[in-house]
Amino acid sequence: MQDILDVLISRKSIRRYKPDPVPDEMIDKILEAARWAPTGENYQPWRFIVITDSETKNKIGELAKVGSGSRMTAWYCMGEMQKRFEKIKDPDKRARVLEFMYSGKVSEFAKHAPVVIAVIGDLQVGSVDVPYDLSAATENMLLEAHSLGLGACWVHGPVATSRDAIKFKKILGIPTGMNEYKVICYVAVGFPAEERKHPRPKLPMEDLVYWEKFGNKERP
Amino acid sequence: MDRTAYFNDMMARLEELFYHELSDCACWKTEFIGIDFIQSKDIQGSTPTEIIENCIREITTAGLAKEISYSIGGQDILLYVKVNGCIHVAKETTLRQRGIKIYNCPIINMILDQIIEKLNFETTYVAGIEVDESKSECLLKCAIFESPKKIGNVCDWTDQCRLIDENDQWTTVKC
Repeated sequence: MQDILDVLISRKSIRRYKPDPVPDEMIDKILEAARWAPTGENYQPWRFIVITDSETKNKIGELAKVGSGSRMTAWYCMGEMQKRFEKIKDPDKRARVLEFMYSGKVSEFAKHAPVVIAVIGDLQVGSVDVPYDLSAATENMLLEAHSLGLGACWVHGPVATSRDAIKFKKILGIPTGMNEYKVICYVAVGFPAEERKHPRPKLPMEDLVYWEKFGNKERP
Repeated sequence: MDRTAYFNDMMARLEELFYHELSDCACWKTEFIGIDFIQSKDIQGSTPTEIIENCIREITTAGLAKEISYSIGGQDILLYVKVNGCIHVAKETTLRQRGIKIYNCPIINMILDQIIEKLNFETTYVAGIEVDESKSECLLKCAIFESPKKIGNVCDWTDQCRLIDENDQWTTVKC
């Protein structure tokens, strides 16, 4: 059995892609990886919609832009975004980053991704915590894409609100009944057009792990 | 039996559980709570002001709140709303006592729903809910976006709200 920790550690969310199409074999491998994710009672509630049509991707990207942009505009007006980004000391750079965020441009990258894969859950077949199963499938997709030399990003924003989730379903023709399908996210995929800066800052292990009981930091 | 207290207790439990499941995302999933009432009314209007005032008339006439005031500012994006004597204020108080940030106001959901449905606004967002139990009053700061072009038009809402309060730019609608 191979240790895949290097694959996990070197993965990063990629939001800028080369225009090159993603070969079908690679898409199939990403979907295959998703299919093998852990799933309660083996329900396998996940369903996937693979999107390469530019018009559809533009609609999804625009929905993401409006969703993120509307929330971040409000957060900026409330003074919350400024606090979130105060670690950027250069005022010009901070202003540029903030504008990129509250304009919603940060989230419109689905428009430029060669492939977008919507991850949806059938609520009728999967009665055991559908979001958890679908999240495991999504992580498998990201790892497989990365191991194939592709870049990918898990995007939840455009389906975050109930109203936007319905808009998303309508774009893809997914039944909109609240008892039918739940949209968890989509995954944007393509060959990376940005460098993977590593390592990203992570909390130290001692801040995350307790031993035997909550709060106990001493390893027995 | 106090039926209002009974239903508010149930709503508080539901919102507590929902918050436990979804943390800060819970507020993004509750925007339809309350809209059935307002959608059962024939709200008319061709401007935000008309829609808001006609919603308030229906809400106060039904006894869901005693008095609601509003002001629009911040490049027509900020909708600042004051709800007094709301039927749900006990729910908000209970949640706060349990250490949960208040995140779902059925009254504002009704108004924002009609702004979207009747005026075809692009989207809305509830950015802040504050409760003052001593006055039985909620203060809400919302963003309303007529079109995608409005997104990214930022200003300081603390300043905007201060000006609204200082200059008494509130419009109060009574049933």
